[in-house]
Amino acid sequence: MCLAIPAEVTKILPDEMAIVSIDGVSKEISVALIEDLAVGDYVIIHVGYALTKIDPDEARRTLELLCELSAEAHGAAS
Amino acid sequence: MSLAFRNEIDITVWLAGAEIADVAIQPRSRPPLTRLFAGKPAQSLLPVLPRLFSLCSVAHQMAFLSAVEAAQGQEVTEATARRRVTPVVVERLTELLRGLFVGPFALNGTSAAAVRAVLQASTVLGSASEAVSDPLRGEVLAQIKAALAALGMTGEGQALAPGSALAAYVERGGGEGLSPPAVEQSFLTAADDLEVVTRLLADGATYSDAPELCGRIPETGVWARRARREPVPPAAGTAARLKARIAEISRLCAWLEGVDRDAGDGAIASYRLGAGKGAAAVECARGRLYHAVSLDDGDRIVRFEFLAPTEWNFHARGPLVRSLKGAMLSAGRRGQDTVRALIGSFDPCVGFNLSFRETGHA
Repeated sequence: MCLAIPAEVTKILPDEMAIVSIDGVSKEISVALIEDLAVGDYVIIHVGYALTKIDPDEARRTLELLCELSAEAHGAAS
Repeated sequence: MSLAFRNEIDITVWLAGAEIADVAIQPRSRPPLTRLFAGKPAQSLLPVLPRLFSLCSVAHQMAFLSAVEAAQGQEVTEATARRRVTPVVVERLTELLRGLFVGPFALNGTSAAAVRAVLQASTVLGSASEAVSDPLRGEVLAQIKAALAALGMTGEGQALAPGSALAAYVERGGGEGLSPPAVEQSFLTAADDLEVVTRLLADGATYSDAPELCGRIPETGVWARRARREPVPPAAGTAARLKARIAEISRLCAWLEGVDRDAGDGAIASYRLGAGKGAAAVECARGRLYHAVSLDDGDRIVRFEFLAPTEWNFHARGPLVRSLKGAMLSAGRRGQDTVRALIGSFDPCVGFNLSFRETGHA
C-alpha cells in the first residue's frame, strides 16, 4: 500500500520535471503524467512520479492525517 | 515528512559468483490504521481512504465498503454489485498502464500525452455513483483505444505495434542478463479468500506483515490472473510479465466495451465472519486486496485490518525471491539492471531500494 504523501511544487524544470517539497525536503520528480502544473500546486508522488494534482485543502487534510498516523505509530512503539 | 513507519522495501541480492545465492527482503512496516480508526463510525472512514492510499484508492474504498456491509449483514443487490465492478476494472486498467511507464521506462512527450489521455478519459467511466450513457461510454472508450494504439497496443492480446516505444521497451526487458530458475508456481485465488480474511481478522498485523497459507506464499496480480486463464511457463521473466500486463489491459478494455465478460469476474467478494464482523477481497491491479473489519453495536470500528498484494509478492520467501534465487546473472551493471527490471515487473506498490552483495563479504 502506497501512502499518499502530498508534495508542494516549488520549481518547474525542463523535460517535464519539477522540484517538490515534502515537509521541507526537496526532491526532483517527473511530472510527465500531469498537465498544467504550476509552482504552489500540490501533487501525490509515487516512486519519483507525480500521479495526481490535489487541491491545497485536501493536501493539508492528508498531511494532518499522516501526522496523526505517525503519532499513533510512535505511541504503539513506545 | 518524517513518517514513523517504513514506506519502502529494501531488497538485498546475495551473489555467489554469477549465481544469485539468496535474496533478503526487508518489508515496509504497516501504518497503525486500526489504532487511528478505532471508535470512529465506519461510514465516516470511507472518504478518508483515498486520502491515505495514492494507489488503488477505488479498490480500497470498495473493499472497505463491502467488508462493512458484510459485518452489518447487509445484502447488496445484484445491480449494485455489478455497478461497483466497473470502477474497479477501470482503476485496474489505469494502474496497469501507468505501472508500465512509471519506473525504468522513460516517457517521451508522445507516450506521456497518450497515458494522460487514458487516465483522463477513464475518470468518466470510473465513478460508481453516476451512470454513464451509452454514447458517452462509446466516445470515452474510443478515446482510450486511440491512446492505447498511440502507445503501440494494437488491441489484439499482447501484440504490440512493431517499432513502437513500448515494443522496444518489452524487447529490452527480455531477460538478457538473467536466467531465472524454473520454479513451482503457486497463485492466490478467490478460493483462498475465506482462510486469508479469517486469519487476517484473528491475527492482525502479525498475519498481514508476512501472510501465508499453510506455509504456501502464493503470487497474486497479473501473472496469477493469467495463470487462471491458461497454463503459464514455470520460468517467468520480465518480458513475459510485461506482455501479460499488456494483454490484460487489452482484455479490460474489451470488458468495458462489453466484449469480454470474464475479465471482471471475482473483482469484488465479501464475507460475513460473524456478528459485527465482515471482510472483502478486491482484485486490483497488483492482485488481491483484503479488508476485514469488526464493528460494535453502533457501527463503530473495533478492528480494521488490511492486506495488500505487495505483502505476498514481496514476502521474504515469496514469489519474487523464488524467481530470483538460483538465477544466473550477467556481470556488472547489465545484470543488476535486469534484476531491477524483474522486480519492477512485480510492480510493488511502494518504492524499493536494491543492493547487491557478494557472499563471503557479509
